[in-house]
Amino acid sequence: MSVEVEPKPVGRKPLQWFDVRGRRVGMWAYVAMRLSAIGLVLYLFLHLVILSQLAVGPSAWDGFVALAKSPAFLALDVILIVGILAHGLNGLRLTLVGLGIGVPRHKTMLWIGLVLTLALALLSALAIFAAEG
Amino acid sequence: MNKPLTRERAGSWSWIFQAFTGALLLILLGLHMVAQHFIVKGGLRTYADVVTYISNPIIFVLEVLFLIVVTWHALLGVRAILFDLGLKPAAERRVTVILTVIGVAAVGYGVWLSATLVARGVS
Repeated sequence: MSVEVEPKPVGRKPLQWFDVRGRRVGMWAYVAMRLSAIGLVLYLFLHLVILSQLAVGPSAWDGFVALAKSPAFLALDVILIVGILAHGLNGLRLTLVGLGIGVPRHKTMLWIGLVLTLALALLSALAIFAAEG
Repeated sequence: MNKPLTRERAGSWSWIFQAFTGALLLILLGLHMVAQHFIVKGGLRTYADVVTYISNPIIFVLEVLFLIVVTWHALLGVRAILFDLGLKPAAERRVTVILTVIGVAAVGYGVWLSATLVARGVS
């Protein structure tokens, strides 16, 4: 057995992930990472299932496309993009820190990631709704 | 200092792989979003346009590569979350096997779907 150098949160019950009381900002990022991860995995498989309409044929697919251009669907697209950006940019931060790059700046990078997420999501939302209008 | 955010018992190879596929995804997902949605009028292609698009060999390869990498990253992430629940070794092995089967099935389905569309062509 190897020596344990750090306490491990292994065995944390799932609901405790979401209990952010008294936690540091990095823990909020951890919770956001897990929530967005679960959402994105569900989305990936939903996306693959919906693509099966292509195999059904042209009318099935084009029918879905018409539905997907409704405002409610477009709003869901914006939520998806927020999830992708938050997860991707925080993932980039974790990778850099894990490689030993910018460790003292990890909190600054977190805020930059958050600002970029909001800014790029806003631009995407404008593009999405402008294309529709 | 903050405590480490996550420590999974599977060790560091999965962390390295997750970071590597994650970095690839920044590129592949970026390409996918722009090429499939943002530059497309209305954000989604019609059936005929989808078939034309996926029939481009470069796009076909990129989309299949994207599917492999994103599925791998997603299921490795699910595995890390499940392992964090504190499973017994036998249960961990079962989780790995099940997720591998799901991943292979998802990629197989995506390749089949893309190949089917290409074979059908625009008629």
